[in-house]
Amino acid sequence: MNIVIQGTTQGAVTDAQGNFSISVTGDDATLVFSFIGYSTQAVPVGSQTTINVTLTPDVTSLDEIVVTAYATQKKGDLTGSVGVVNTEQLVQMPQSNITQQIQGRVAGVTVVQDARPGQDAKVRIRGMGSFQNNEPLYIVDGVPTTDINSLNPEDVESMSVLKDAGAASVYGARAANGVIVITTKRGSAGQMKVNFNAYGGISTVGSGPDFLCNTQEMADLVWLISANDGTVEDHPLYGLTTNPEPTLPFWAADTDWFGESTQRGSIQNYDLSLSGGTEGANFYASLGYLDQTGEVIFNWYKRFSARFNSEFTVKDRLTLGENINIVHRSDHGVGNQAEQTAVTGGAYRMMSIIPVIWESGPYQGLTHFWEDGDWGSTGIANRLGNGQNFVSDATRDKDDKWQQLRILGNVFADLKIIEGLNLKTSIGGSIDMQYYTNWTGSTYEHSENTATPTYRETGQIGGFWTWTNTLTYNAQFGDHSILAVAGYEANKLGYGRGVWAQGAGYFTEDAFSFRTVGTAENLQSGDSWFNTPRTLVSQFLRADYNFRSKYYLSGTVRRDGSSVFGAENRYGVFPSVTGGWRISEESFMSSVGFISDLKIRGGYGTMGNQAAVSTSNQFYLYDGAPNRSFYDINGTFTGSAPGFRPSRIGNPDAKWETNVTTNVGFDAVLFERKLELTFDWYTKRNVDLLFNPELPGTAGNASRPYFNVGEMLNTGIDAMATYRMISGDFNFEVTATMTTYNNEIIAIAEGIEFFDSVQDGGNRIGATSRNEVGYPVGSFFGYDFLGFFQSQGDVDDHATQAGAEPGFLKYRDTDLSEEIGPEDRIHIGNPNPDFTYSLNFNVGYKGFDLVAFFYGSQGNDIVNQNRWWLDFWGSFIGQKNVGMLNDSWTPDNPDAAFPKASAKSNFSTSQEYSSYYIEDGSFFRLKNLQIGYTFDNAMLGNIFSNLRIYIQGTNLFTITKYSGLDPELYQPSETVFGVDQGSLPVAKQFIVGVNLGF
Amino acid sequence: MVVTVGLLLMNACSEEFLEITPNGSLDQSVLATYAGVDALLIGAYSMIDGIDASFSWEAATSGWVYGCIRGLEANKGTFSGDQPDINPIQSFSESPTNPYLNAKWRSCYEGVSRCNSTIVTAGMALEAGTIDQAEHDSFVNQARALRGWYHFELFRLFGDYSTGMYVPYVDQNTVQSELGNEVDIRPMIIADLEAGTDLALDMGGIGRFNKTVVQVFLAKAYMQLYQDYGSALTELNEVVASGTKPNGDPIGLAARYGEIFDIENRNFIESVYTVQYSVNDNSGAYNGGWGEVLNFPYKGGGSPGGCCGFFCPTQDFVNSFRTDPNGLPFLDNSYNDEEVTNDQGIAIGDPFVEYAGQLDPRVDWSVGRRGIPYWDWGPHTGADWLRDQSYSGPYSPKKQVYQQSQEGSYTEVGNWTSGWTANGYRMIRYADVLLLKAECEAMTDTDDLGYGEVNQIRARAANPAGFVMEDDGVTPAANYVVAEYTTPPANSAEAMTRIKFERKLELGQEGHRYYDLQRWGDVLNPNELPRILAHEKSMPWGDNLYDATAAVGPEDVNFPIPQRQIDLMLGRLVQNR
Repeated sequence: MNIVIQGTTQGAVTDAQGNFSISVTGDDATLVFSFIGYSTQAVPVGSQTTINVTLTPDVTSLDEIVVTAYATQKKGDLTGSVGVVNTEQLVQMPQSNITQQIQGRVAGVTVVQDARPGQDAKVRIRGMGSFQNNEPLYIVDGVPTTDINSLNPEDVESMSVLKDAGAASVYGARAANGVIVITTKRGSAGQMKVNFNAYGGISTVGSGPDFLCNTQEMADLVWLISANDGTVEDHPLYGLTTNPEPTLPFWAADTDWFGESTQRGSIQNYDLSLSGGTEGANFYASLGYLDQTGEVIFNWYKRFSARFNSEFTVKDRLTLGENINIVHRSDHGVGNQAEQTAVTGGAYRMMSIIPVIWESGPYQGLTHFWEDGDWGSTGIANRLGNGQNFVSDATRDKDDKWQQLRILGNVFADLKIIEGLNLKTSIGGSIDMQYYTNWTGSTYEHSENTATPTYRETGQIGGFWTWTNTLTYNAQFGDHSILAVAGYEANKLGYGRGVWAQGAGYFTEDAFSFRTVGTAENLQSGDSWFNTPRTLVSQFLRADYNFRSKYYLSGTVRRDGSSVFGAENRYGVFPSVTGGWRISEESFMSSVGFISDLKIRGGYGTMGNQAAVSTSNQFYLYDGAPNRSFYDINGTFTGSAPGFRPSRIGNPDAKWETNVTTNVGFDAVLFERKLELTFDWYTKRNVDLLFNPELPGTAGNASRPYFNVGEMLNTGIDAMATYRMISGDFNFEVTATMTTYNNEIIAIAEGIEFFDSVQDGGNRIGATSRNEVGYPVGSFFGYDFLGFFQSQGDVDDHATQAGAEPGFLKYRDTDLSEEIGPEDRIHIGNPNPDFTYSLNFNVGYKGFDLVAFFYGSQGNDIVNQNRWWLDFWGSFIGQKNVGMLNDSWTPDNPDAAFPKASAKSNFSTSQEYSSYYIEDGSFFRLKNLQIGYTFDNAMLGNIFSNLRIYIQGTNLFTITKYSGLDPELYQPSETVFGVDQGSLPVAKQFIVGVNLGF
Repeated sequence: MVVTVGLLLMNACSEEFLEITPNGSLDQSVLATYAGVDALLIGAYSMIDGIDASFSWEAATSGWVYGCIRGLEANKGTFSGDQPDINPIQSFSESPTNPYLNAKWRSCYEGVSRCNSTIVTAGMALEAGTIDQAEHDSFVNQARALRGWYHFELFRLFGDYSTGMYVPYVDQNTVQSELGNEVDIRPMIIADLEAGTDLALDMGGIGRFNKTVVQVFLAKAYMQLYQDYGSALTELNEVVASGTKPNGDPIGLAARYGEIFDIENRNFIESVYTVQYSVNDNSGAYNGGWGEVLNFPYKGGGSPGGCCGFFCPTQDFVNSFRTDPNGLPFLDNSYNDEEVTNDQGIAIGDPFVEYAGQLDPRVDWSVGRRGIPYWDWGPHTGADWLRDQSYSGPYSPKKQVYQQSQEGSYTEVGNWTSGWTANGYRMIRYADVLLLKAECEAMTDTDDLGYGEVNQIRARAANPAGFVMEDDGVTPAANYVVAEYTTPPANSAEAMTRIKFERKLELGQEGHRYYDLQRWGDVLNPNELPRILAHEKSMPWGDNLYDATAAVGPEDVNFPIPQRQIDLMLGRLVQNR
């Protein structure tokens, strides 16, 4: 506890037992007792010589100052729907990207993880409202940006999520997906503070799938298939299929490809910050270093960041300042959710019989004469498939590197014209430079090889700027409080250009230092691009009024002009209005003892989205590219003549998408301020959605223009509850959040009832998802799998189905046409969860603290696309599920989990997409468990102001019925998700850390 | 104050600030020059292989799927799970939702769209005075001929006489929302091709259409669309008498059969029109025969391409090359009475006795089979050249495959296979012209009913210098016996029997077979494809390859219109069956 004599700087602190002593000058002195988390208490000394003080916990957050659109407000005065992120909780997750850390921290925000170090998570505020772009807008110290991955989470002071139109609509044409307002740390007058935080640890994705065939089981499976199919052949691996048993070739290995493709990861993070200031100046400076080794071999990520924020006040009128973030990031990245990645390419496409390194030589294989030490892969023999040795490819590529230097920041000036009236101008933006290299070495070991090595180097530069001017008026007239902001903003976004070149053929493939495009035998290809920027010009107004903090009314309006739309539709106006009523302030409520504070609020308004459209949308364009329109008209064999083609059909009539939100909610503080509740119910109607309907083939293949034709409806609730209890040395806080959104597509385009989507990353079975009117975005669509055909009689009785055989997949004849065809496909699953939720427990006892953070998702379906590779022989040759051997359909095993083992690839096996692949993706996961101990300052001789050490584990357990590696899937696409195409599992981490303050 | 002035200024220029035109593209007016129109025309030509970055093997012009596999000259090859959408096409059970059909449709109309933008821009250029009338006409006639060809390709795939449902014809005046497919567009195709016959013989570039090329297309269209052999014969007579290649060089038969397919010779005397592939041209292989990239043996380092084991010739096709004691084909289809020996199921090291019976030597340029030298790659060694012999059967494709000595120079470097080549598709070669001419003579009962043309081709086939030789360079690789007919055909029917068979032998694996059968009305009658399908299903690999229920039905004389296009055209496009 701190004690100061009011009006002086004299003070004292209590010891471990809470005792203190202080000398005062006289009876009129007043002591001010304060402690973080407790109400400050002032006690007149009078004649007392002993003063016993018990501070009451100041646990409500209503007085918290929240950063909102172009202003700051007391949380208790909010009328729009604003979620406040506890930034201390945010940094508890040892993750390398701030977007990953937001998960579960705010009701109404859905965060879809990417398990790879440094990668952005997908942040979705209140579901999805666009077919094209659902990224929220971030405002960092007043600068709007769509990219916050360069921020060091430790530098973040506050983060507010503006969810509804009432809160966000003043950001106009960029607000429709929600706005997240971030401020970074500033110094304050007083002693300079030094903080040092460090943590380090290891991570593991575990031993991977336990359901794959080993080498012998795979051979046995081939025998089972030959028997089932009646195939007789001299199998290139296992001998004559008429033999009673398969014989393994002498070189057969038993490789754990998942184990070979993954490694133990590690993470270390150091942050050093200095802050301080005087009356007229303050600063905050920090350095951060994060070094993470991923769980896929050779994967790493590093981030050096620096921040310098400062503010100078001149003659109490003019404040000048700047915020700047300089970051250098680099990584050797890996793929996720695609074919040649660690999970799919490593574990699922490679049979265990294949050795990683050849030790059985010499041997004449399919593609190579093998000698000991050579890489093993699918080129050893026929029938090993066309997978690639993930280890050999990754080893060759290990020197590939991406690096980025980004500067993000602003300078500002704030002039106090009169008391309460301020004019502020800020110019900010970013410069972003990236460089990456990509080596593709020649291979010999695969069944499909690259003959000539290539090297590609890519450089690019880009950026944006924003100029914001606001006039803010803040005043109190008796019972009336007014906050008003008028502003003008100009933006230029997305300018930049880049170039790549590729060389082919290298004298040596081993010497990294020799590798440049210039040292190649041939300068093979190259390209460059020149981004078309977009500009926005905006005027806006916001006004908040309250009467005695009891009745609230707030209105905002913004007018935006955007260069991406034609002159006719260039400008849009986005208004909102909200109101609030603090019922607890009414006299009739004073008798209701358990309510400490209760406010109901509601609002209505519109927001826009202009990011969903190409900057070229309004233009008819022609372009030429070698792979599109060049032709060797002169017959040179090795050079094509430039040609042009229509590249884009224009639509000058497009305009922004509009999000119409209605929000009703309440904030309550109950039971002597022990329980805080926040609840919001919303409907979000997204109209004029931009969609580029596929044109008939007869219109040619130029890029299709976007039209404002779609409509989507989201409804849902966001709820958050916090319960706090303090009892002596023991304190306890639990926070629960729940997020729901019900998404329904209302319209796509005239005459278009649906469009199908395939997830990025490769899928050999076709579209899994159909976005259809009346259904949620990303709804799964296909045949309804009824079970396996049990007999020929069953086949004959069923509707005619191509390829039907006992043991194969039986689909429902939904249209009762007695023939199974495309029209029998129905919506068979929904990747959108019923709700997502989190629970955060904070327990403190004396110096000890414990945090347990749980996160869960309920009611979402997953398409386990991996089963296409693993459950069917006729998909692709590669690793298979051991269930194909042990629990596949035979007449004697009618209740089998797997279809009949057969090489046949047809409509009734692997060629159609059905509910066979759909599983329940619900999960509940312990995201974080942390135990810390804060040392008593006195014990440490007051050298430190703070010393805390902790140990931590993340993702320690998960409860799920999902049979794949991890139900928490990375999402590479917008209108299709919940499809597991080999998603990298989230790792378990074990961390130790220290927080040190001077 | 300064800020306030700044705000006002910015308001004033905000309109200008919001005018952003795209970087890296051009609008049409910039292209209305000689160079611009020519570049648009080159863009229109560049779709003739069916391929650009949006379209791959599904859309290939070489016809390996629609012409050969559908014509049962070859099967899909590889193994069951790869490109499974070809399986129903070869089993005559494709549905309108088959993505191959949609890609092919879209690719052809993209070609049409480029032709139309060329024609419109040429008009603008003429009006602007940047090109003269002759230049304009040359551009427009090339574009119209190309447009005619793209529509012809669509028509023979999707047009259906029995239901009267054709394909939409799109020209520069088309209003998309009025398009349907109930109009007989054959006259428009003929008119576009006729316009192309106004072109010069020497167009100054081997990749352009000239009078001769378009005359052949026009003849094909007369034959295929109207069975108008008389009009076709007029065109073909002129082609044979005075035709040239697009660069003005003479056309004729190459002396040796095998040399036709050597990449070096793609613009050889035999070539009337070859689609000009190019490699290592910064297109990322999109101009290097992307449509055929799957169709190489699957032996990786030891054999050409390394990928992907598709397009395996059928046993029926191989058997067709058996010759009788006179060196003539078994015109009564009795060639299948005896199978040419193959190595199905025989392990690589185990002994295999090659077929000793008489064969037309063209077989070993058309098919890769065990024991026979395969270009300069050494002998085909059998199962290790196939991806899954138990599925695809024992044969490999050959005509499009590059030679070992050409790897890297005529193949794309630096990607997952070397199977992108400069081996341009021989879209029209002289032998095809001669056989079309023979067919017209036979059908119109004129001249020698094609006797001379057929023998010209057989004589070339019989040139021993054109045989595949063993390593010693002098010993024929198999028992090659082929001879000319010694008696003229007695009548038109006999002539046609010979001509039909000769097309199979001479032009096999070159994308013509299914369309030939279509033209002759032979898909079902007299039982041609059902007969071959039954034979192939009886092969040891036939059970794995073809659906058990595979059967050729009356609707299989063409392909269904892609369902996606029917959906997108909101009912104006009507299914053809």
